[in-house]
Amino acid sequence: MLPNKKGKGSPQVKLVCKVKVKNIQGLHTRPATAIVKILQNSKSDVAFTHKRETVNAKSILSILLLAAKKNSLITITVDGEDADETMNRLVSAFDGCFGEMNK
Amino acid sequence: MTQKDVEIHLKGISISRGIGIGKAVFLSPEKEYIPNFKVNTKEVESEVLRYRRAITRGCDEINLLQNQLKKEKITEGVDILESYMQMMQDPLLTVGVENSIRQSCRNAEQVFYETINFYQTRFSKIIDPFFRERFKDIQDVSKRILSFLKESYRVSLADIPEESVVFAYDLTAIEVAEANITKISAFITTSGGISSHAAIVAKAKGIPYVTNIHLEGLEICSDAIAIVDGRTGEVFINPSEETILRYANIKKTLGIHFKLLSDCSSNRSETYDGYHVKLSANIEMSHEVNLLHEYGGHGVGLYRSEYEFLSLGKFPVEEEQFITYRRMVELMQGLPIVIRTFDIGGDKQMSCYPNKLETNPIMGCRAIRFLLQERDLFKSQLRAILRASIYGDVSILFPMISALSELHEAKQIFYEAQEELLHAGVPFSRNISIGCMIEVPSAAIISDLLAKECDFLSIGTNDLIQYSLAVDRSNQLISGLYTPTHPSVIRLIKLIVNEVNHQGIPVTVCGEVAADPRFTSLLLGLGVHELSVAPRHIPIIKNAIRSASIVDATALAEKVLTLASANEIQELLNEAYYQLVPDDCIYNC
Repeated sequence: MLPNKKGKGSPQVKLVCKVKVKNIQGLHTRPATAIVKILQNSKSDVAFTHKRETVNAKSILSILLLAAKKNSLITITVDGEDADETMNRLVSAFDGCFGEMNK
Repeated sequence: MTQKDVEIHLKGISISRGIGIGKAVFLSPEKEYIPNFKVNTKEVESEVLRYRRAITRGCDEINLLQNQLKKEKITEGVDILESYMQMMQDPLLTVGVENSIRQSCRNAEQVFYETINFYQTRFSKIIDPFFRERFKDIQDVSKRILSFLKESYRVSLADIPEESVVFAYDLTAIEVAEANITKISAFITTSGGISSHAAIVAKAKGIPYVTNIHLEGLEICSDAIAIVDGRTGEVFINPSEETILRYANIKKTLGIHFKLLSDCSSNRSETYDGYHVKLSANIEMSHEVNLLHEYGGHGVGLYRSEYEFLSLGKFPVEEEQFITYRRMVELMQGLPIVIRTFDIGGDKQMSCYPNKLETNPIMGCRAIRFLLQERDLFKSQLRAILRASIYGDVSILFPMISALSELHEAKQIFYEAQEELLHAGVPFSRNISIGCMIEVPSAAIISDLLAKECDFLSIGTNDLIQYSLAVDRSNQLISGLYTPTHPSVIRLIKLIVNEVNHQGIPVTVCGEVAADPRFTSLLLGLGVHELSVAPRHIPIIKNAIRSASIVDATALAEKVLTLASANEIQELLNEAYYQLVPDDCIYNC
């Protein structure tokens, strides 16, 4: 699902950022769960793009279907009133390997 | 193995007596059966709602499991369950499936199944085996959702063709309750105990029912003629000319016998030496009251109030309950009615109260225990009954009391309900009798204490037997141990009746034992003055009462109390009944 413009009064911000998957096992069930939980209360539309496939990041099934291994590059697109905060939380979660040990 | 035109003779366990002849119809015999049907555009939103409820129940279940694991500090398990939770709430499975249901107008199971299949195909195309394997978790989640859907999915037995012999793996009480008796000749299931609620409803409706029949390989006999002998537990598929003739004759004799009995509805229910017995009816749905009037019953001895609402999946508010009870009381035309408060839990689950994952629900939070925890619900029912009481002769019965304190607590809530109505100026009858069910051994043993604080007692033999003998009445492995003639059961009934007669309050026997004419003399001999049975059993029990004498009945009871085994007692009762009513071919066979 691509981010679409909403005609609401609140400021619409669209942010795009590229991140690297650092987890050894890639974006498997546990990180995918963490992502969906982070986005649970986000008011923005969030999409992940990997290898020309773009999916709704709020869907755990869709994230798993990306089959993103370690060192994959993911383009995150956040579009909505809380885009800033949402993007920050996502990027730091990716950086912190979603709390998984990473040796 | 099975050949299409050879007579197949099967033997199961008889649940409901009578002879059924009809065409074999199989309900979902396959293990992974996914129902697939079109949904009316008007009903599509309720189908969406049914799906949403299954998801909610799935989430509730995971939540409970998570809390349990948290307590046990199994964090890894909690994490896995968190993933399951997120999968259940995945927009592809929530909004996605809901929209597909709306667009395709097909049932939730089918749409959900197709959706899962679609993602299974997509996962199977992932090259990396590690990610391909992730589908297993989704499969696990989808199985749970499907099972919750199936629970709420009810095969409408009302839509079945005429003269069907219904074969199913299992039947719920609600399914049987909805069955159209004019269309269904018999029920046959693989599982289901003799005293399950489905069995009680089948008996009350007079539908022959045989269980413990394995369905594997029988499906090809769909549409074949089937004969069910609910007396012996025999089932014949593709019966020979000879078998058909034999059963057609038995059926005819039974019909004549029953017609004779029901013609005597105006006769008094008393022994031929003048001992009067009150013969009342157990009722689940209001329409059954007609039969009670037709057969000349004394009133309703047990109104199982939860049945009217079970199929709704939730309890209606006080006002709706009031309307139901008032209609019920008015239908009684002045005859007394005993309303038993909701008996929920155990094997009667309400989908609005998610399974609390009890490992032993039969011994768990059911009946009065449930009501004392859900006080608002309990009080709303008591208020509704109180309000309906001005339209007739109403008594209230508390189910499954096991200690005096429970009776006190229940009565306290009853008084509060009275107070509230009094303050609000809502009229109600001031002399409502209050009684409690004696269906737990602890209650039987303290029946003297309970009798002092009640206006009447009611013995529920089904549960009393199950709890006394520690035999789960729905467990097939031990169904042979469920013996109503066990000396301990007879002694308990004797104990209760003695105490109650001593206090001078009435006692009713309202379990299945009361509806079995072979027990009638014994119960009268033990000192029971009132029996309550499903309306359609009134003629046969009245006949048993009228054929008996209280002198012989007392002697029989004394004799029974000297016997040491269930078998001996059963044989004696069979023999005594045969002597009294030799032409009853339902029970003498």
